[in-house]
Amino acid sequence: MAQINHLSDLTPQSLERTWLTAPHPTLPIVATCSSDKTVRVYSLTNFTLLSTITGGHKRSVRTAAWKPHTTGESVLATGSFDATVGIWRRWDSYGREDGSGLKAADTGNSDGEKSDENDEEDEEEWRFAVLLDGHDSEVKSVSWSPSGMLLATCSRDKSIWIWEDLDDGDNNFETVAVMQEHGGDVKCVAWHPVEECLASGSYDDTIRLWREDLDDWGQVACIKGHSGTVWFLDWEGSENVPSSSSVSSSGDVASQWRSQTALSGPRLLSCSDDRSVRVWHRQPKESLMASQSSSAATGIPSIIRPTGTDETWEEDAVLPHAHELAVYAVAWSKRSGLVASTGADGRIALYEERFVTSENKDPDVMDTGSGDGLLKTEWVLIAIHDGAHGIYEINHCAWAKRADRGSESGEELLITTADDGSVKVWTVQR
Amino acid sequence: MAEMQNENPTILNAADLPTRLRPTATPKGEYAGIFTSVPLPADFLESAPTSDSEDDNLLEEPIDEQEIYDLISSISDPEHPISLGELAVVSLPDISIKPTLPDVPGSPLQTVTVLITPTITHCSLATVIGLGVRVRLEQSLPSRFRMNVRIKEGTHSTGDEVNKQLADKERVAAALENGALMGVIAKMMETCH
Repeated sequence: MAQINHLSDLTPQSLERTWLTAPHPTLPIVATCSSDKTVRVYSLTNFTLLSTITGGHKRSVRTAAWKPHTTGESVLATGSFDATVGIWRRWDSYGREDGSGLKAADTGNSDGEKSDENDEEDEEEWRFAVLLDGHDSEVKSVSWSPSGMLLATCSRDKSIWIWEDLDDGDNNFETVAVMQEHGGDVKCVAWHPVEECLASGSYDDTIRLWREDLDDWGQVACIKGHSGTVWFLDWEGSENVPSSSSVSSSGDVASQWRSQTALSGPRLLSCSDDRSVRVWHRQPKESLMASQSSSAATGIPSIIRPTGTDETWEEDAVLPHAHELAVYAVAWSKRSGLVASTGADGRIALYEERFVTSENKDPDVMDTGSGDGLLKTEWVLIAIHDGAHGIYEINHCAWAKRADRGSESGEELLITTADDGSVKVWTVQR
Repeated sequence: MAEMQNENPTILNAADLPTRLRPTATPKGEYAGIFTSVPLPADFLESAPTSDSEDDNLLEEPIDEQEIYDLISSISDPEHPISLGELAVVSLPDISIKPTLPDVPGSPLQTVTVLITPTITHCSLATVIGLGVRVRLEQSLPSRFRMNVRIKEGTHSTGDEVNKQLADKERVAAALENGALMGVIAKMMETCH
């Protein structure tokens, strides 16, 4: 079992509902989206407010995502109920300098009246770059592709848009694709950690996967497994290996797991209004790769979508039941492999995936696949924290690297975001 | 409004509606009922020995089905200047309050379930009525209550669709930011006390 310990709140908090908190990919800062139409940027070194992004959106800010691989500058995409997506930029000087009291930036700053100038700069520290206009109604989720080249956005208008950041210095974005296959609001979009493959979850209860094939973006899979709105998705880290503490010969388990899962790749995690949390994997198909290479050789015209692009996604696991109301968010840690979920019942649940050895397997369960020598895993509920934000619903959870004073390297945090505007930071004690 | 969906609805007599505000046993006049809820000095004397800690627990009055009914029955129908109570769109037996997390001892969370009976089975205003009820409850009840506003089974042709919309937190939040829709809802609530 594990314990979820409260470390700090992010203060001062929004007085209205907060929807989501996005940790920066490299800096110790997070962006929190609020119904008060603003985004608050907090430091993870001292848990206080660094700046507030205002004036860009006319309604609730629902979602935000940091562009990966930027150098010297942070780029944030925000999605709002006002149907627009905002792109914001700021030079990276803070997060470190304002952080934990380590004024490292002082040495490089020889200005005499530094504080006055900083005050003026603070007014304009977040530069509004561009507004992406295209959706007909509320934008629900935004996600940058692993390279940072593509931005996916989705909306109640049932569509997913993919924009290419031209990075031409003029903030130009080009619409690459508009996908309209979903039969209801698209609640979330999430890019595969390494490939240009997009996953989406919807009010139509399905999860769909999208890839580009010969210049055309199209659906490659539709997963019908949940019996309610799919609220959120997250991908497994590409290097993830389940916990092997219970397995005696842990030495080569990791490498065996890697080779066993190499063909299917990272799995997808989903949560739903049906109160369940599920894991999905792509059916490994050696024949798929063969058919793709043969179709390329025969030169089939681009209008005919080669059947080889279709993928079969199967249910990998249903996580142990932990929620009594809608599950609004899941997060799969890229550091520890732990999964966290939160929802309307105000609860945080933590799960761990473990290898199952033949000895500790339930003898009553029919072991149908024992002969294939494949590694098997089970998901264990390792902690539940009730009333994590008091009586309030928890809209989002995210893992981040711990950065406050006294923390050891490699430690991680869980950040939860709730209806009363509070954002709480937790550590997990094993 | 261009054309009414139900021009001649069945209306209940207001005096027959369930209420605690005007108990039928006190025919002394219109306001008599209000005073019956004011405790007499004797009540305080009798309850004096109870401990302070108990008083702390009672800082928030318990909320029962009748109170929920009183909150929503006075909402007006968007088509008629008649209350949802009089139209029997909401009724006391169709309101229930249950612990949200029965397995968690001491959890303050409670779920209020309100089943709505639309006046006609194809009424497209069912969503607006449901939203009105949900908004009224969200604005009136403490945050520890979870709202479950649904169309009563078998009373509406697209009940499942309406229920899914009413249960969708994100859609309800977005609707609250929609000026036109909130105008309609504000009008429905003009008759609420």
